Formats: sequence, structure tokens, C-alpha cells
Amino acid sequence: MIFRARLHTRPSSIRANAHLVFLRLITAVFISLIPSLCSAETKRVVIIRVDGLPYGLLDSFAKERDQHTGKSRLPWIDHVFYQRGARLSNFYTRGMSLSAPSWSLLDTGQHLQIKGNVEFDRYTLHTYDYLNFIPFYLKSAAGQRIDMPGTEVLDSLGLPLLFDAFAHEDRYIGFQLYQRGMRFATLKDAMQTRFMKRPRELLDEWTMGLDMRTPFFDQMERELKTKLNDPNSRYLDIYVTGFDHVAHHVNDRRSHFSEMQIIDALVGRIWTAIQKAPQAQETALIVISDHGFNTSEGVYSQGYNLVKLLGSPAGGGHHVITKRRLMLDYSLKGINFLVPLITTTTDDSFYLTGQSTNYPTALLDFDGNERASIHLRDSDLNLLHILLQQLQRNKKSPAVRSALVNEFFKTIDNRRAEWQNSLDELNQELVALRVQIDKQRQLWEAEPKKFSPEEIRLGRDDQKKRVYAQLERWMSQEKSYTEYTHTLGNLLALLKESFAADKLKLDKLKIEDLIAKQTMGERNSVYDLQNYIVGLTPGGLQVKPDGSLDMVNSFRRVDYLALLHSIAMRNNVQPKVTNKPIDMIATRLSSALVAPVLGENGLTADVVWVYGGRDKQALILARENERGTLSLRYQPIRNLRQDAGGRVHFEAVNWEPGFPLHIFEDSELDIPSGDRHAWLSQWHTDVEWLRALHKTKYSNGLIGLYEEIARHPTESLALDAPGLSNRERLMRRFARRQRELIETDLLLIANDHWNFDVRGFNPGGNHGSFFRISTRSTFMLAGGDGTGIPHARLIEEPYDSLSFAPTVLALTGNLRDDNSPVSTLWNKGFRRFPGRVVREVLRNQNPKR
Amino acid sequence: MKTPKGHRLCPVRAQRRRTSVLVFLFVVSLIPTRPFLGPPAQAQNPSTTAAATTSEVFRLERVSVEGGAELITVHAKLSGLETSASAAEASQWVPMVTVLRDTLGDSSPENDRLRYVWPLTYTRPTMRQRFLGAIPFLYARVGNKKHVSDKAPPPVMDLAAPDRDVWNRIFWTALQSLLLDPYGTPVKASTRSYRQNVSDYRKAHIIRALSVLSLYQAIQGGDGGEGRGPNVRPAFTESELAEIQARLLLTDKTFGGLIDNLQLARYSDKSSTSALDERGHNWELLRQRAEAESLYFEPLQMPDGSTTHALLWVAREDLEKNQSRQYVKRFLNIECPWTDKQLKNWRGHVETRYFDSESRPVSPDEPGARAVEMIPLALYGLDHPKIPILLVDFRDGLNPKKREMSRRVLQDVTRNVLSLSRFGDVPYFLGRTVFDFVTGRRGMDVNQPSRLRTYSQLKLLLALNQSLDSELREEIGNRAEKVSLNPFENDLKAEARVARQQYAALLKYARSPKGLPAMLGRDRRAELVAHKHEKVERALFRLANILSFGKYTHREKDSPEIEARLDISRRLDYHTRFLRQVAQSSPQIDVVWNLEDVNRSLRFIAEHGSEADSRAISATAEIFSRTQDNETRRTCLESLSRIDNPKARKELIRISQNTDLDPAWKQLITSYLHSPKRMEPLAASDATTRANGSAQQ
Repeated sequence: MIFRARLHTRPSSIRANAHLVFLRLITAVFISLIPSLCSAETKRVVIIRVDGLPYGLLDSFAKERDQHTGKSRLPWIDHVFYQRGARLSNFYTRGMSLSAPSWSLLDTGQHLQIKGNVEFDRYTLHTYDYLNFIPFYLKSAAGQRIDMPGTEVLDSLGLPLLFDAFAHEDRYIGFQLYQRGMRFATLKDAMQTRFMKRPRELLDEWTMGLDMRTPFFDQMERELKTKLNDPNSRYLDIYVTGFDHVAHHVNDRRSHFSEMQIIDALVGRIWTAIQKAPQAQETALIVISDHGFNTSEGVYSQGYNLVKLLGSPAGGGHHVITKRRLMLDYSLKGINFLVPLITTTTDDSFYLTGQSTNYPTALLDFDGNERASIHLRDSDLNLLHILLQQLQRNKKSPAVRSALVNEFFKTIDNRRAEWQNSLDELNQELVALRVQIDKQRQLWEAEPKKFSPEEIRLGRDDQKKRVYAQLERWMSQEKSYTEYTHTLGNLLALLKESFAADKLKLDKLKIEDLIAKQTMGERNSVYDLQNYIVGLTPGGLQVKPDGSLDMVNSFRRVDYLALLHSIAMRNNVQPKVTNKPIDMIATRLSSALVAPVLGENGLTADVVWVYGGRDKQALILARENERGTLSLRYQPIRNLRQDAGGRVHFEAVNWEPGFPLHIFEDSELDIPSGDRHAWLSQWHTDVEWLRALHKTKYSNGLIGLYEEIARHPTESLALDAPGLSNRERLMRRFARRQRELIETDLLLIANDHWNFDVRGFNPGGNHGSFFRISTRSTFMLAGGDGTGIPHARLIEEPYDSLSFAPTVLALTGNLRDDNSPVSTLWNKGFRRFPGRVVREVLRNQNPKR
Repeated sequence: MKTPKGHRLCPVRAQRRRTSVLVFLFVVSLIPTRPFLGPPAQAQNPSTTAAATTSEVFRLERVSVEGGAELITVHAKLSGLETSASAAEASQWVPMVTVLRDTLGDSSPENDRLRYVWPLTYTRPTMRQRFLGAIPFLYARVGNKKHVSDKAPPPVMDLAAPDRDVWNRIFWTALQSLLLDPYGTPVKASTRSYRQNVSDYRKAHIIRALSVLSLYQAIQGGDGGEGRGPNVRPAFTESELAEIQARLLLTDKTFGGLIDNLQLARYSDKSSTSALDERGHNWELLRQRAEAESLYFEPLQMPDGSTTHALLWVAREDLEKNQSRQYVKRFLNIECPWTDKQLKNWRGHVETRYFDSESRPVSPDEPGARAVEMIPLALYGLDHPKIPILLVDFRDGLNPKKREMSRRVLQDVTRNVLSLSRFGDVPYFLGRTVFDFVTGRRGMDVNQPSRLRTYSQLKLLLALNQSLDSELREEIGNRAEKVSLNPFENDLKAEARVARQQYAALLKYARSPKGLPAMLGRDRRAELVAHKHEKVERALFRLANILSFGKYTHREKDSPEIEARLDISRRLDYHTRFLRQVAQSSPQIDVVWNLEDVNRSLRFIAEHGSEADSRAISATAEIFSRTQDNETRRTCLESLSRIDNPKARKELIRISQNTDLDPAWKQLITSYLHSPKRMEPLAASDATTRANGSAQQ
């Protein structure tokens, strides 16, 4: 119907669409000719998703024997996966060991697009809060949402999730971060079952403390087991979070074991239910986790308050926005589940005192705790803001006024091309967006009001809600970005001549009409971060003899890299913990800036700069061959600086101990025999690096940093795809822009046993870093004879998150030999997977292929 | 005694009766020990004494008791008590907790019962202490108990009868509300005050006992062993320790004594995790607050390495530097040090500490060590909900006392003076709920019910910790004693003395034929009641016990075969409990359990089918459905067939009606149902052979 409407309304695009259809047809035919990777007969997969289950700890418990029974202390895991299945002893999170990014990698099998548990849009401060379920439930109840925020973002990028490979009616999805659809019946039944018990049981539970979390998981388990009896069900999953929750709070082995026992029992119950259900022989049970856990008995994880630092004079006197309330458990406002943006106001702001609501200048995402991301407002916006404030104040001598005006317009002119380009492009995209909104509205209005039970079974009602949710989201985006463009347009429209001549007009100008409220503007350059303007110096504005403003002596500046890395504590009471909370800082540079200095050609667009102090820095360079194989090189450097003109300067140095990730000195580094210097200085593919590094303290941190910091274009948003209409191209560019706008200025990585959690305290342990203990995760499989999953197989070859989705698809016969999906999945939006399939678990597959 | 309209009936008689009841109750209530345990009688011969030193901190002593029991005592080396270097090491060992295990005289753990727990520092208050304990609003210690009688010490609970505590509590609450409170504020306030002090005193010592057992467990590696070889039975098994801890913890809950035994391990785990969670949070909160306020944080450790308390210090050099520095009092609850004149002229305890370039504490001779002269500001307990609790303020001794008193005052005034009750006064209920929520949520330590724990642990820490400077330890000890609100409390040294004397008295009691052995016999006869009488009768016996203030306890008659009957009933309990645990644990027990153990328990049930209860029946039937093992299945059916109970028969029928069940099993069940008492070995029967064969296919 939609297609017919297009034929009527847009005859010019008929040919383009026909081409597109033809191309898709050709591609599908081509793909169908490639042999399937696996001749498996796995007809059904059941996945137990566990939040933060460290393989090392699980393995140690599984290998311990219970002194009474003589069996494993995790008898079901031992029975199912150690004796009747396969387990990967070196399965790692690729990127940060953080839930939202990590699950997105596992679920899509594509490179990282979601970079934190919380993300902020720099222009609008729109927040992507991927972990907060409550707003999702409430919006679902109101009919405004149907998918979790993470799912919406991945949909906007054209990245389908693993369970999208299976039809709506053939799958059962537990409540999870990348949830699609909402089942209120699960919540209702959980509460009913919670209290429909024998009085004696209820009395016991009440006395011991009513647990309100477990019933939901129990209900999902019941539903999953029921769904197992449906012979058509092909994909079922359940998500459990208990271990992660406990391990954040306590570090003792007894508590950890207690939670592992719960997982073990769950494995037992589900395995038993599978054996009793139809297709038991063709069913695979998988346990997968998103990350490991840095927890160590006897050592408390110590928190460092970055909000306080950023609000202090030394930290720049920022009003700081976070998405999590500080000291949540100790505040009355903390009971509000619909967490708004939390602004922590400082009294030490140098020029924005009392304006925290309008002009926050720092955004902080500390979720994940062993890392934090910081957005700082564009330093030039700070400068312009200060200059405007000064110009509007009386008693300025003409000389000073003139210097101020000159500097104001000089600053605008320096950025004019960049800002104007952003403005023009965004305006074009907004035009396309408005058209798209109209079409979406029509689509929504055309949706049926009622659905038959069969349609509901097929998920048609959810599709309708999805149409509305998309419409609502686009309308909100249109509004907020339009506001931003207006203000930026005002700023760029200012004329120096009228500005300088007419003081009266200047007095009437409102700063908020020129400098948008609640925005961070563009991302800061390295120069900005090393010379970030936070206010005037105590001496105030200084004019040089030539009449220009003395930019060195007039403004207070902060070198954030040096500041953050130098933080040290006076209370250092744990022998295994250093007094410096921050290990390293990373940010993205354009390869165009560093390639000439290094004399490297063929680099990808992004280079990762890792700062471990003035003399201990590194560049992570990347390139891709014609088949898309990623290669990386680690270049130790020192003293990287960017000058005001934008040129980058640094000294390339030789390998020695002490550089970020401490690769050179790590005894676990596993490289082919030969010169360590030479090997480390060469280009290697990501797989070669993984094999060499995975047992070191920072494990696959080198690959992870690149995955986290670099931008990864997706095929579905390619602007040069054939047959795209102009509006489609603009909408794709808009979607890409939104992803780029969440990019932070700095990624901070904590030292061992440090964290940045200020919501409360996580003394038990944390994750988020690149330490092996945090990235080493769990991936185990077992199944009936029909699945071909080997028995008692320990796979020591290292793999990472990118391998999970293609392996599951290969297991179910949905993947071709070249890592491309079968045609039905191709049509659903699945594309070639960059990760390696774990061939060791496939029938008759040679792992070395 | 009022009519519905409020007219008094026989006012004089009624008042006289009320007065006599009141006097009687008051006298009875002055007995702080457990009234329903029955008076501790006298003892008989001790047999062997086995002592084993297990570490430098704790040692365990086992003393056999005539009649088949043993006293297991944890001794602690309280180095912290001795200030004189010449003190003999032997005198530093203090008996802390004793547990009685009734073994029925054999070495099999299956028929053992853990009975009484004696925290040996817990003693009967003196008359003076009792009298002062009944004075409302007297929130102070009133001196130590000087002489300990040679009577057996009071236990805090009987692990074999935890439900008694529940009925006891309910009874006294009812009595207080219905009979004592109507006599007016003086009576109400004094009796409630007395009961509160009794309860707090007992609670404090239960906490101490728990701490000692936890420390002992942590140091011994959780097996409760004594560092002996693998074939030697440990003093406490892991599950026994968990049971003791859970039962002691549950004394704090209204219905704690009624909790199903199977839940105890889970509760113990849960409580342990929760306690560690609180401790870790407080550790981190205090460290961060110290850092933010430029103070120094010093965690204090127990012998097992756990940090239960922490000190805050200020550097003398910082006092000058930070005079204009802002100070946030929240969470620390002490006054600003930077503007405090008292600190500038500080004459109290001062220590010089040394730090390296990374601010790590080091010894003075470390190259590059930086000396910092430090003044102690406060000591906090970390085992407290939400925030570290202020226990000692070195500048203001009244500060922690005021905080300590705040909740008691609020409670005593509203309940005892204003007669407000949460259940009877809606505005008060709402106001109090809001107040509790706000103070609790914001982490204000004015309304926390758990100060007792941290005080109790501080005493233990001071006694065990050797790292503290002796002068500082003395000062902390003195200040902590002054904060105590309970007239029943004794100071640390008095407690050590009391513990030694009470332990001696307990041993004497154990040696006397009329002492512990006789008590053991009475308890065994009482224990048999549960196996001889139906529910209704048992309820009546319990009522009689309660109404007689524990004076009457129904016991079975003494007879020569009593031990044999007890042996069987305890073993039945043991195997039933095990089978219930097995049945509840896993959908397929073969994976999780050693089937030999399961079969052994099933066989025991089968052999004593006439005495097995419905829980054993349910567990047996459940196990049948959760195993693939033919022998286990056969034993399940055999057990069910031999249990002389309609429920067992029903379960057999239910199993046979399962459509998925192999016909051979059905046939076997049918044969059992037709001849329930058949005892020949089933493995030889045709039916079983067929069943085995088909199940194997």
C-alpha cells in the first residue's frame, strides 16, 4: 500500500525504486548461492543472558568439589556445559566492559554504535538512558514506547538484533536492555504469584525480608518454560542480573558463590525443561554474559567524585549534568524513578554563577564506574559567552571594548565555516525530517485501530505502536534541533560593524539568543582541551599594546588531560590500590592530523590518542584492507599538543615500560618468538593482537579502545548507496549526525580498584575498564545431538563479543560461509558480520578456516 | 474492669487483684534470664577435656558432659585487655561463647542436637542494676557486677527450641499491654524501661556471640574445624555454624523462631551479604568524606582482616592551613575541626604517623617518609545501616551519647509518657512514618535501631586488636563505656572476669550429676513430646508453659528406652530434613546429589516408616519424580509403601496416575498398594526387574 502511494505521489522515484528492488534481488540471489556455514540442525536456541558473569570466577567454582556430594560446586553448569557442552575460556568483551555497549555488540554482531550506558546529545542534551527500565515501563503503559531506548537507537541505525532473525510469534524475549515489545502480563502474573503462597511460606519470607526482584525473574522463567512446549518456538531468552548487583556491593567469595548457585540452579531447571520439551535434541542452551567483573576479596573498590572536581575552581567551576543522582540512596529526590537530568550546581563558577539550569558546561557519564566520559562545552562558546558578558557591562574603556569586539568576531570567524556547515546541513536534514514526520503521521493514521488475536500473535499491534513511537521521537527531535539551529543562526548572523557601533543594541541583546541554553556545541579539539577557557583571570581583561586582547593573561585556562591524570589522594590505606584514581585518558583524533607526522598512509579516518602522562602516551592507528579486515598499530609517543592553528605535534618514541596498557612489560604477552620491539611496532590484524594480548593485564584493551573511540560506519546509513532519494540520504545523514553528537571529549579509565560512581558506592567491585578481569566474560553452549555442539569441549582460542551473534546464527543455519546472513535475514536488514564464528562449536567445522 | 459504658465493677476487689497481679508480674519480670527454659538444675561428672589451640586468636575447647553431650567453647585471646607487658599469656585467654551439643553419647552427627548458647559475658544483673534498669529515662551504666555466683550462667537461647522465644515475646507484649500499661505512666514506664534494658542487654550479647562465631569461622576457614586431620570431626560443621548464626540473628525478628530450618542457610547467607554490604558502603563513605574534608582515615581491623570500625584524624599542620576551609558536617556528625580552638590547644592523645610519596602509611625509617602529627577526632562503627555510626567523639563526649539517646528518648516519651502507639494513633503513625523515612533516607543516625551491634563489636575489637596504641585504646574504651545507656552493662575488664567465672561455674554445673546432665535428661524428655503427641495436645502444653511463666513444661516419663526413641526420632528428623533439601534443590537430583546419601536417607525412612511424618512423605514423592536412577526410585516407592500414613498411600496413587510413568513402575506401585507391608527385597522381584529394564531403555 505504501509503495502504491509512492507511485502516485512521487512518480520520479519509480525508476530509482525499481533499481533498488532489482539490486536487492540480485544481492539476494548471489547470497543464496554461497554455501551455508553450517549444516546444523539446531532448530531452537535458548539463551540465558547473565549480567556481568566473570568466567574466571565461574570456572574456579565449577572446578571446586563439594565436600559432601563429591560433585562440582556448580553441579548443573558442570553437568551441562563442562561435560555435555562447550565453553570458551577466553571470551572477551570488545570495547568497554560495560552493559549497554557490550550487549549491543553481542546482539548485533556489528561494530560498536552505543558508547555508554548513558549518552548525551551535545546540541540538545537529549539523554539516551539505556539502563533505566522504569520510564520505559511507564511510557509503554501510556502507549508512547514499545522498545527500550537502545533498541530504538539500533533500529534507527538499521542494525537488527539477534532475535529479529526469528519471527515475532516464534520467539520469547525476556526483559532486558535491548528489549523489543512489552508484556505487562508478566509483571502482573509475577506480583500475583509473589503473594499467592501458603501462609507459612509467606511468613518465612516476610521474616527474612520480602524480595521483590526475584518474582519477576521467576515469572519469566515460568513463561519461558511454557513457551518451550510450543514446537514452533525457535528463540527464547531470559536475562538475569543478580550476580552483577551483588558483586558491585560485596567482594566476598561466599556471596559471589551464593549468586552463582542461583544461576547454576536456573541452568538446571531450564536444561531439564528443554529435555522434556519437543525438539530437545535440536535445542541449544547458551549462557552468555556481557562482561567480567573486577572484584577481589579483601580489597574495596574506591570511588572518586569527578562531579566535585569539575565543580571546583581547579576543575573549571562547571555546573555539571549527570543522569544519575549523586548519593542517590541518601536523597529524598532519589525516590523519583523518572530521573530527569541532574544538575549539580557549583558556587565556584567563574562566570556562570546562578545559571546552572541554563548553562551547564559539563556533562558526565560515570556509568560503568571503572570509566567515565566527559563532555565539556565548546571552549569557544565559553569565550564568546564571557566576551558578551563583558561587553554588556558598563565602564569599559573604548580600547577594551574594541579589543573585546575584535576578539568576539575573530572567534566567530575562526569557527564560521565549521558552524555554518553544521547549520546548513542540519537545516537540510530538518526539512527532510518534517516531510518524514508528515508521512509517518499518515502512516499512523492509516494503522488499524483494532487487531485480531492472530494479528496480535504476529506482533502487528506492536508494529503499530512502533510507528507512533517513531513519530513521537521525530517530532521531539525536530523541535529541539530547530531551537538549536535558530540560536546558532543568530550568532552567525551578527555583524561586527553594527555590533561595534551601536552600544544600545548590544545592551538589548540577550545572550541566550546567541549562545544556546543547555547545549555543549561542537566537540572540543585537543587544543581546546589543553587550553580550555573557564573564566577570567583574577587580573581581568588585559589589552596588549597593539590593541588586541591578551588571550594568555586575560583568561583562566585548564589543561584537562594534565589535570585529570595528576589527581592524587591523601588517604591511601589499601596496599593493592594506588593513590591515583585515573589510569589513562583517551580521545579520538582525525588521522589527517597525525598521518603527516608519522608518515603513514592508508589510515582509517580515526586515530585514538591515549594519554598516560606527558611522557607516556600512545596513538592507536587503524587501517582496513579491501576485504574490510581491520589492522591496528600502537605507536608510543610523548608530549602530544595541538597548536591554535590546529596542527598536532608529538614525538614518536620507542617501546619501553610504562606506556598506556602496559603491553611491553607484561609477562603474559604472547607474541611469536623474536624481537618484542619489532613485533609490537608492526601492523597486526585485530585477531593477531587479540591472540597476543588477551592474557595480559589489560587484555584486549588496544582493540577495545579503538572499538570504543572510533566511529564505525554502518552500511544501512551509507550515503552513497545506489537508488537513494535525496530525502532518504538526508535522513541517513541525520541519523549519523545524532550518533556523532553523543561523542564525548574525553574517556577516563580508572586505575585498578578505582571507580567513578557517585550515585552511591560500589565497594564490592566494578567493571567498565579494559582490565582482563573486567572484560573476560562467559560464553558456554550445550545441546542435543542434533545441534552438533561438541561435548566436554574447552575452547581456548580467544574470541570477542563480535563472535556471538554470527555463531548463534551459524548454529541455526542462518549464516553463509562468508559470514553473510542467509537471504531471509538479509532482507530483514542483517549484513555481513565482521566477527569470527566460533567454528569449534559447529558440526564438522574446522576452526582454522 | 469496666462495663461498656465505663462504670467500674467491684472497684476495690478489682484493684486489689490487679495490684497482686502487678506485683507478681513485676517480680517475675525481674528475672532477666530465659524463663521458659526451665531452671538450670545441677550437674554431674565431667568426663574428658579436649583442648586444641587453633590460632593465635581463638582456641576451641570441648568438654564432655555425662549422659552424652559436649560443651564446645570458643576462647579468645583478648590481648587488648592487658596493658601490662608482664601479664601472663594464659590470663589473656577468655572463654567467649559456649554451645552445648547433645550427642546422645555416640559419634554419629545424625542424632546430634545443638542446644544452649552461652555468651559467657552475659550474666544475671545485680539487684542494684535491676532496680536502676527499671527507672525510666536513666540512660547510663551504673557500675560493674562485682561478684558472680557459682550458679550456671544464663543461656541466651535454646537452638533446639527457637519457637519458644516467639511465644515468650508475644506473651510478654500482650501482658504488658493488657495488664501493666493500664496502671498508669509510672508502672508502664518502669516496666517497659526494664524490659527494654533486658532485651537490649540480651541482644548485645547475642551480637557478641555472633561476632565471635563469625570471626572464629572466618579464621578457621569456614569449616568450623580445629586444624586437625581430614578424619577428625570438626567442632561445628559449616551448616551448623550457619544454623547457629541464623538462629541468633533471627532472635531479633518477631517470628524469627518459627522460620523453617531449611531456610536457615539462605538466611545466614543473605544476612552475611547484607552486613558486608553495609560495612563496605560505610568504609567507602567515610573514606570519601575524610578525603573531601582533608582528614585522615584509618580503618581498624578485626583478627580476620575485616574492617568493622574506623578512626578519623586531623593533621596538626592542617589546622593552621585550613582555617577558612568549608566543612560539611553531614555523615561525619562532628564539629568543624578547622575553627575549633580546642584542637589548637590540644592536650589529648597525639600520634605521629609516617607516609611515603604515595600517601601510604610507612614505618619511620622508610626512606623519604614524611612525618605527620595527628590528632584523633572520632571513631565510627561501620556495621550500621546507611552511614558509619559515631561511637567516640574525642572532643565532645556527649555527642555520641546524645545520638545514642535520641531514639530511646523519642520512643520512651511517645510510648510510655504520651501513650502514643503506631497502631492506635493515625496522626502519630503518619508523622512517625514520615520522620523515620526522612531520617532514614537521608542517613541521619538519630533514628537507627542498631547501635547495639556496633558498640558490642567495638568492645570485641578493643579486646582483640593489638595494633592500637594502648593509651588510645584505653581512652576509646572509657569513652565507649560512658556512652552506654544500659544499667545492666559491665565494662570490658569486668566482662572478661565475669566470663572466666561464669565458665568455671558452667563447668562445675556440667560436672554435677544434678546439673547439666540432669537438665539434659529433662530436655530430652521434653523433646519427645513432639513425637508422642498430636498438634492440639502440643499446643495445649505450650500454652500451659507460657501461662506458668515457664514453670511447667510437659515432659515424657523417664524410661530406659528413651535414648533409643530419641535416637530414632532425631535421625528421622535429620533424614527428613536432608530429603526435603534434596527434593527442593533441583529438578534432577542425580546431577546435584550423591545418590548413595539420598538412598541411605530414603532407606532410613523406609525402615522407620511408622514414625515418618508428612514432610518426609512429600519429599520422598518429590524425589521419585526428580530422579532417573532406578534404585533411588525403587527406594522411594518402598519408603512410601512402608510409611503408615494415608498421605503416603495418596502419594503412591498420585504417582501411579502419571500418564508418562512406565507401566512397570505402575505395576510395582499397584503391588505395594495391595500389600503395603511386604518387606522382601524388591530388587529380586519381577516387577522391579522389569521396571529397571524399561527405565534403562
